[in-house]
Amino acid sequence: MGIQEVQNQSQAPAYQKKKKAGRADGFQASFLQNLKNRDQAKHANTAVETEAIKAVADTQTGVQAKVDKVGMGRIGAAPGIRVNAAVTQEPLQAVEVRHMSYEESDHVRIAVTEGYTLKGKREEGEDARVYVEAKYEDGRVEAYQVDMAKVAGQTEHVIEQFALETMQEA
Amino acid sequence: MEQKWSYLVEEYRAMLYRIAFSNMKNRADAEDAVQEAFLRYMKEEKPIQNKEHEKAWLIRTTIHICLDILKSGWYQKTVPWNESFENAAKHIYLPYQVRDDETLEAVLRLPVHYRNPIYLFYYEDYTIHEIAVILNEKEGTIKTRLRRGREELRRNL
Repeated sequence: MGIQEVQNQSQAPAYQKKKKAGRADGFQASFLQNLKNRDQAKHANTAVETEAIKAVADTQTGVQAKVDKVGMGRIGAAPGIRVNAAVTQEPLQAVEVRHMSYEESDHVRIAVTEGYTLKGKREEGEDARVYVEAKYEDGRVEAYQVDMAKVAGQTEHVIEQFALETMQEA
Repeated sequence: MEQKWSYLVEEYRAMLYRIAFSNMKNRADAEDAVQEAFLRYMKEEKPIQNKEHEKAWLIRTTIHICLDILKSGWYQKTVPWNESFENAAKHIYLPYQVRDDETLEAVLRLPVHYRNPIYLFYYEDYTIHEIAVILNEKEGTIKTRLRRGREELRRNL
């Protein structure tokens, strides 16, 4: 009884072999055709590819130059704060973190749903400058000094807007 | 000695009350928890190393007292008298102006494992390292709770 069962099982997959063989033939034919097509296309596309690679390289160089110029990588890396780099570079300057407390600050913004807090204090001196400290959900703390003379009244930049509010509060 | 205790109470009372209130959500229970924390500090026999240790000890103890009260069978069978949770945020007198009471109330409604890290990080301005020490958790755990708590808060608002 047991021997019969084993024998039956060994005979069962005969139809599968046929199927596999058929698939292999089809694959071989398709593969050969692809090889042929690739050789033909290779010669035709060489000139086009070279041109495309050059164009991409030119674009990347241009973008990198622009990023270096405006310092977007440094300021725009903060989560929750979207930076319009072209507008923001001039008035903002990264400075050393002082670890200012809420009590010492002139103005506080707690943005729990965006994952950051901002503390602002108007600097002493003749120039209108605001010190802004940003703390992010991942633990990073960054500090900026904002030159208010260079901030546009209708700025959309979060830190510049906050600096304007701090000036009003102070 | 008396001066030391009065200094201690003056220094930490307001902050501990806010933390206790964020857990208890009613004034009387929050005050009881803070009082109990000070009493335990006075009876503490292990030496407190420095000011930071002292602060962390008091916060941790206050949170534990709150959680113990909330878990107690007696508390679960009682209903706070004449307290409205809708105005809970108005009982937390922060040393700065918070314009968004709605978010603060939503934070107070979060489950305890999200509420305490978020409250300490955003409203009391503690660092992730300090919160990890206070709550006796790993820094990675605190970061995860901050992120997940914020996501839950966004869904609730």
